Amino acid sequence: MMKLRMGTGVVVISTALLFLCLPFCSSSVPNDPFFGIAPQDEKYYKSSDVIRCNDGSGKFTRAQLNDDFCDCPDGTDEPGTSACPGGKFYCHNAGHVPTSLFSSRVNDGICDCCDGTDEYDGKVTCPNTCWEAGKVARDKLKKKIATYQDGVKLRKEEIEKAKSALDKDKVELLKLKKEESTLKEIVQQLKEHKEEIEKEEEKERLRKEKEEKEKKEAEEKANEEKSAATGEEAGHTNEAGKHSDAKDYAADETKYEQSDVGDSYDGATDSPSSEGSPLNEVEESVKGAEGEHAAKSETDLRVEEKKSSEEIINTGNDASENTEGLSKEELGQLVASRWTGQKGGKQSGEAEDAKKTEEQEDLTSESNNEEYEGYASETDDDRNRYDGEDETEDDFREDERDDVSSSYKPDADFEGEPDLSDVVTTDSPSWLTKIQRTVRKLFKAVNFFETPLNQTDAARVRKEYDELSSKLSKLQSRVSSLTQKLKHDFGPEGEFYSFYDRCFESKQNKYTYKVCPYDQASQEEGYSTTRLGRWDKFEDSYKVMAFSNGDRCWNGPDRSMKVRMRCGLKNEITDVDEPSRCEYVALLSTPALCKEEKLKELQHKLDSLNSQQPEKHDEL
Amino acid sequence: MKNKTQTLPLLFFLLFQFLFFNHVHSWKKEEFRTCHQTPFCKRARSRTSSTSTPLIATDVTISDGNLIAKLVAKSKQEETQQNTNPLLLSLSVYQNGVVRVTIDEDRSLNPPKSRFHVPDVVVSEFQSTKLWLQRVTQETLDGDDSPSSVVYVSDGFDAVLRHDPFEVFVRDKSNGNTRVVSMNSHGLFDFEQLKVKGEGDDWEESFRSHHDKRPYGPQSISFDVTFHGADFVYGIPEHATSLALKPTKGPGVEESEPYRLFNLDVFEYIHDSPFGLYGSVPFMLSHGKQRGSSGFFWLNAAEMQIDVLGSGWDAENGISKLPKNRVDTLWMSEAGVVDAFFFVGPTPKDVLKQYTSVTGMPAMPQLFSTAYHQCRWNYRDEEDVEHVDSKFDEFDIPYDVLWLDIEHTDGKKYFTWDNVLFPNPEEMQRKIAAKGRHMVTIVDPHIKRDNSFPLHKEATEKGYYVKDSNGNDYDGWCWPGSSSYLDMLSPEIRSWWGDKFSYQNYVGSTPSLYIWNDMNEPSVFNGPEVTMPRDALHIGGVEHREVHNAYGYYFHMATSEGLVKRGDGKDRPFVLSRALFAGTQRYGAIWTGDNTAEWDHLRVSVPMVLTLGLAGVSFSGADVGGFFGNPEPELLVRWYQLGAFYPFFRAHAHHDTKRREPWLFGERNTELIRDAIHVRYALLPYYYTLFREANTTGVPVMRPLWMEFPSEEATFSNDEAFMIGNSLLVQGIYTERAKQTSVYLPGKESWYDFRTGNVYKGGATHKLAVTEESIPVFMRAGTIITRKDRFRRSSTQMTNDPYTLVIALNSSQAAEGELYIDDGSSFNFLQGAYIHRRFIFKDGKLTSLDLAPASSGNARYPVNTVIERIILLGHASGSKNALVEPSNQKVDIELAPFWVQRKNSPAVMTIRKPNVRVTDDWTIKIL
Repeated sequence: MMKLRMGTGVVVISTALLFLCLPFCSSSVPNDPFFGIAPQDEKYYKSSDVIRCNDGSGKFTRAQLNDDFCDCPDGTDEPGTSACPGGKFYCHNAGHVPTSLFSSRVNDGICDCCDGTDEYDGKVTCPNTCWEAGKVARDKLKKKIATYQDGVKLRKEEIEKAKSALDKDKVELLKLKKEESTLKEIVQQLKEHKEEIEKEEEKERLRKEKEEKEKKEAEEKANEEKSAATGEEAGHTNEAGKHSDAKDYAADETKYEQSDVGDSYDGATDSPSSEGSPLNEVEESVKGAEGEHAAKSETDLRVEEKKSSEEIINTGNDASENTEGLSKEELGQLVASRWTGQKGGKQSGEAEDAKKTEEQEDLTSESNNEEYEGYASETDDDRNRYDGEDETEDDFREDERDDVSSSYKPDADFEGEPDLSDVVTTDSPSWLTKIQRTVRKLFKAVNFFETPLNQTDAARVRKEYDELSSKLSKLQSRVSSLTQKLKHDFGPEGEFYSFYDRCFESKQNKYTYKVCPYDQASQEEGYSTTRLGRWDKFEDSYKVMAFSNGDRCWNGPDRSMKVRMRCGLKNEITDVDEPSRCEYVALLSTPALCKEEKLKELQHKLDSLNSQQPEKHDEL
Repeated sequence: MKNKTQTLPLLFFLLFQFLFFNHVHSWKKEEFRTCHQTPFCKRARSRTSSTSTPLIATDVTISDGNLIAKLVAKSKQEETQQNTNPLLLSLSVYQNGVVRVTIDEDRSLNPPKSRFHVPDVVVSEFQSTKLWLQRVTQETLDGDDSPSSVVYVSDGFDAVLRHDPFEVFVRDKSNGNTRVVSMNSHGLFDFEQLKVKGEGDDWEESFRSHHDKRPYGPQSISFDVTFHGADFVYGIPEHATSLALKPTKGPGVEESEPYRLFNLDVFEYIHDSPFGLYGSVPFMLSHGKQRGSSGFFWLNAAEMQIDVLGSGWDAENGISKLPKNRVDTLWMSEAGVVDAFFFVGPTPKDVLKQYTSVTGMPAMPQLFSTAYHQCRWNYRDEEDVEHVDSKFDEFDIPYDVLWLDIEHTDGKKYFTWDNVLFPNPEEMQRKIAAKGRHMVTIVDPHIKRDNSFPLHKEATEKGYYVKDSNGNDYDGWCWPGSSSYLDMLSPEIRSWWGDKFSYQNYVGSTPSLYIWNDMNEPSVFNGPEVTMPRDALHIGGVEHREVHNAYGYYFHMATSEGLVKRGDGKDRPFVLSRALFAGTQRYGAIWTGDNTAEWDHLRVSVPMVLTLGLAGVSFSGADVGGFFGNPEPELLVRWYQLGAFYPFFRAHAHHDTKRREPWLFGERNTELIRDAIHVRYALLPYYYTLFREANTTGVPVMRPLWMEFPSEEATFSNDEAFMIGNSLLVQGIYTERAKQTSVYLPGKESWYDFRTGNVYKGGATHKLAVTEESIPVFMRAGTIITRKDRFRRSSTQMTNDPYTLVIALNSSQAAEGELYIDDGSSFNFLQGAYIHRRFIFKDGKLTSLDLAPASSGNARYPVNTVIERIILLGHASGSKNALVEPSNQKVDIELAPFWVQRKNSPAVMTIRKPNVRVTDDWTIKIL
C-alpha cells in the first residue's frame, strides 16, 4: 500500500516540479532518492552516506543517488533515472509482477511498467493497469499450473513406465545375449557337422564322377560303333548356347548400325525389347556410354574429363551460357533464379501463381501463354532433374541409413517374421532347450561314418543349420538393435523413453511435419518427403530435440530442425516454423517437460501474486 | 546417336556443375560487354591524335551571356569527305568557379532528330548563378599561331577556348596562367553525328542473343580531359575498386577495362574491378599536393567508359615529355551531347561545393534514417516482424527501422500485401511506431503484367510504359515474371507515380512507412546485360541508350516526390535507391547493392562509400554483414563496428543465408554488436550536424583523409581509413583475428583514441594492438563533438535526452565544434526552425555561440535539452571546479568514465552536470 502511494506521489510531484523548474531542469530527477530500487536492495543504499558502485568501479554520495547523472557505469547510482545506460529500474507493479527494466526505458515516453512509474517527467501519463494485467496474468498462470499439475502426474507415470520398460529391455537383452551365445554354439556345431557331411559328399561325388567317367568312356567306345542317333541329344545344350550367341551377335550388329556406338555394353539383355523404343535407346546409349567410360584406360578417362570441362567453358559455364537457345522468359527466369537460388522452389511457385492468375484471366495472347507454358514446363523439367538428383542421393542415404539402422528399427522386421516371433515369445528356456534337444537327437541319429551318407540325415542337418543360423542372425540383429536402443539418451529420468519409435505429426497448410525422436524429422507434401534432419541430440538441458544433417538445401545448408518442448498434457506438435532458410523450428507439448520443480515455482509465483492482490484491489 | 552418347554424360556433368557450383563462381562476366565488344568504346579507345579529325573553333561570339562558337574540321576536304556538319559550342560561366561547355549538332541544319539533353539534373537555382559574359578577350597563347578566346571566371581563374587546335580549359591566373582542367588537349575529340539510315546501311548490333537496331547509326562522343597539377583522380562511381582510381591504360600499366558507367544489376559482383555497377555519376575529382583539387562533370546518361591514363601516357603513342603531376583521362559515351562542367576548386571541399551547386545539395534526411536499420530478405510475416522487434528490446539494442523485402507483396505486385503473411499491415506498423520506430517496404519499377493489377491496367491504358523498338509496351522479365517499366523520364508519369504513395492509394500504408526502390537500373532478367534494350523508346522518341543511366534516378525522384506529396509537403521523404545518377543526393540514400559476406567486401565498402560521397551522394552505406553468404561472427562484428560509421547504416541479408540478427551469435558477440550500435546512437547528434553540413555545402559526412588534410601526400591513396566530419578518423579492421594494425594519423596536432582517450602523435604511422572491442577510432585534437550517451529503443525517444560534449584540446589548449538540431522530420528548418551552435574552447573557457542567422525566418525550434556532461581531453590543469555564466553557477570537475555505457571505461576529466541549455548562449570557465 505504501509503495503504491509513493509511486503515484512521485508522478504528481515530479510533474509539478517539471513545470516549476522548466528553465533550468529539463531532465527530471525523481523526488524520492530511493526511487527505482528493488526492495531487497534498499538496505544497500541506506546503509551509508557514501555508496559503492556495484562493480567496484567507484563510489558516490547519497546526494548523487538518482541525481540524473551517471557516476557508476553499471548504473548503481541511478536506479530511478535514465542517466546510466547500464542501469536497471525496478517497478513494484503492485497487483501484478514486479519487473526490472533497462534504464533506457525510464522517461522515454513509452509506458512500460503497468504501474506507470517508469514515466514521471510529465511528458506522458501512464495509467495504472496492474490490476487488469495482473488478473489476466494470474488467470493464465492458474491455467498453466493446472496443466502442470496434471502434467506432473503424467510425467511420473511415464517415468515409472519407462523405468520398468527399461529394466525389461535390459533383462531381455541379457537373456537374448545368453541365448545368442548358446545358439551360436549350436549353429557352430551344426556347421561343423554340415561341413563334415559336405566333405563326405564331395568325396562321394568325386568317386561317383570317376565311376561315371569310366562308365561313359566305356559307353562311348560302344557308341562309336553305333549310329549318331543318340549323340544328337547329348549335344543339345551346346547347340542352344551357340544359337543364342549368334543372336546376340546379330543384335549387336544392329546396334552398330543403328547407333554407331563403339561397344554395346550389355546389349545382349536389352536388345530384343529395346529396339524401336526411343526411350530405351536413350537409356541404352547412356549405359553404352558408361560402358565406354568404364572400358577406357585411365589416361583416356582423364582426357575425356578435361575435354568435357573445356566444353563446359565453351558452351557456357552453366546454363546461363546457353541463352541463345532460351526464350525470353526462360532467360528471365534463369537470371532471377540466381538471386532466389531456387530453380524450382519459391520462384517457380511464384510463376505457378502467375500461371494460375493467367489461366483465370484467360489471357488474350495465345502465343504468350504458350511461351509461358514452355517456361513452366522447363522449370518442371529442371525440378524433376533436380529431384532426380536428389533421389539418387536419397537412395544412397536410404541404403546407408538402413545399414546403420538395422540398429534402430529392425524390431519390425524381426517381429514381422513368424518364426522369430516364436523365438521371442516362446518362453526361451523351452525353445532353446527344445532346439538343443532336437539337435542333439539329430546328431545321435546321424551316423557320420556311414558311407555313403544317408541322404535324409544330411538334408536334416542342412535344414536345421539353415533354420538355426537364420534364427541366430535375427537374434543377433535383435540384440544389436536393443543394444542400440539402450544406448540412447532417454533423459535424466528416462522421461523420453516413450518417444522411442514414435512419431509426432502436424499438418500446416500443404505440409505434414513428422517428428520421430531418435530417428528423423521430415516434411511431407503429397508423396514427396523431405528429410529435415536426422536425430542428433537433446539440447538446452533436455528442452530441445535437435535433428541435423537433413536433405541438402538448394544453394544452402543441410536442413535441420530444432524441436522445442514445453509442458503439455498430450504429445503434440503445435507449431512449425522456418526462421532461416532450411532451419526449422517446431514446438512440442509433452508431459515429459512438466517438471515438479517448475510447478512449485509457478505456484510460488501465484502465491506471491495473490498476496499482493487483495491489498491492491482494496485500494482501487 | 554418337552425339547423344557423348553429350549425355556431359549434360549430367553440366547439371551437376549447375547444381553445386553455381553459387561459387557466379559473376557472369561473359554476360556483360567488354569495351572491346562495345563498338563505340573499341573505336574511341584505339583512336590516336593522328587518326582523329582535328577541329577548329570559328565564329566566336558572345550571345545571351554565353560564348558561342562553331567547331569545324580543320580541312574542308575532310569535312565533305565525312559529310559532317559544324558543331555548336556554348561556354558559360557561373559563380564560385564553375564553367559549363555544351557541344551539340546544329539544329538549324536539321539533324535526323535532336540529341538527348538530360533534363531535371541541373538544379534551377544554378541558372541564377550564371555570370552574363559581356566581352571576350583574344589572346595568342605561347607557341600558338592563332588566337584564343578568354573569358573571366572569377578573380583567380579564366576560361579559355583555344581555336586551333580546338581546346577548352580553365586556367589559374595566380599560378602563372597554368591550366587547371582542360578538354581536348590531346586532340582526341570525336563526335559522331546522327544519320538517316540509307540503303545498305547496317548499323545493327548484336550481343549474345540480343539485337540493337541503332536506327540513327553510331552517335558516340569521346574526348580527353586533363587534370593539371594532380597526383590522383577520384570519383565516377559506382565501381568496386580503390578510392584513388588506378590507371587503366598507359606505359607500365597493365591494361584493363576502362571504368564503365552503365547501371547494371550485377549478381555477386567482385570486389576489385572497373566494372560498372548499379549507378553512374560521371563526375571526376582530382587532387594533388601542389595545386589542390579540381573537378570535371559530364552530364550525359548514356553508357560511358572512362580511361584513366597512366603517368607518361601520350595521345600518340610513347612516353610523354609533359610534367608528371597531371592525370590524363579519356571519356567515351555512346550517345547524347557534350554538357560538361569544369570546377576550379582549389580545395576538395570547394570542388564538392561547386559540383553540388550544379546537381543539388544532399537532402536533409529524416533523423531516424541516420540511425540503425534492420533488414533481411525477408521478414516473413507479421509474427516474424513482431518477434524481431521484441528481441531488440529484450537485448536492449536500439534500432529505428525494420524493412520488408519483395516477399511481403501479393505476387510481387508492389503497393499490395500478401494477405496471409501480412493480414494487418497497418496494425503491424502502428505497433512498431508505438516504439518510435519506422518501417520500410520495397517498391520496384517493374510492374507485373497482370490485368487484375489496377496499376498495370492503368499504366497500360494511359500508355505510361517504356516502349520496345517496335512501339509496343516493352515486356521484360523480373521478380513478378512478365513485367513492364514505367517511363520515368516523363514528369507527368512521375507525378502519377508519386500519387500512388498516398495513404488512400497505398492501402495498408501509414505515416511511419517509408520506401525502398530496388532494381531500378532497371534490372531486366532477360534483357541484354540484365537490363533494358538500348533501342527501347521513351517519351519524345528518346532512345533508352540515351537515358539509361538516369532511369533509376528518375524513378527515385518520382518516389521521393510522391512521399513529399503524401505528407502534404510537411514530412521529409526517406527513399533508399540502388541505382543512382548525378543529382541522386537530392532524393535519398544509396546502398552499394548485393555485396558478399567476405572480408574483401568489407574492405572495398570503404572506398565505395567514400567515392559516392565524393560524387555528392553523402547518404550511403554497404549492407552490414554482406548480402550473400554467411559471415563468420568475427566478420559480422567487425562489419558492425565499421558499418556503424557508414552514413547509411543497415544490416541486410539474402534469404538463403542464416539468420543473423545481432543476438544470434552468443553473449559476447551480442555485446560487441550492441556496443557498435550504441556508438552510432551516441554519435547521432554529430552525424546529424554533419548531414546538415552536407545539406548546405555538399561536403560529405564520410570523407577521405585528404579532404581534411589536403597537403598530406601520405593520405592521397589511403582508403582503409576515413574521416567522419573533420573530427573522427576511423580505421577499419579487414582481416581475421587481427592482432595489430597500422594507422596513419595525419596533421600536426595529436589524436585521442576515441575509446580510451589516450593521446597519439599526428603526422605519424602508429602500430596499434587491435582488440575485439572496437576498430580504431581517433578524435582529432582541436575539435569538439556532441554525443548523446543515453540510448533508447530508437532515436525517437532520444529527442529530449541531454548531451555530452567531448572537447579534444590541441597543443594550444583550444578546440571548436558545431551542433545542429531541428525537429528531425519536417521542412520547418527551411524557415529557420533549427538550432545551430558553435562551441569554442580557448583560454580555459568554453563558449556557445549562435550560428543560426538572426534573420532566418520566424520559426524557431524550441527545446529545453541540456548538456549534462563535458569531457575534456588533453586539458593541462587539474581543476576541480568550473563557473557557468551567465547563471554564475559553480559546477564540479571530476574524473568520470569516458563512456558511461561501457564497462571499465577509462576515467577522463569531466565537468559534471553543467546543465546548460543548448539553445542558450553561455560560457563555462575552468577555475
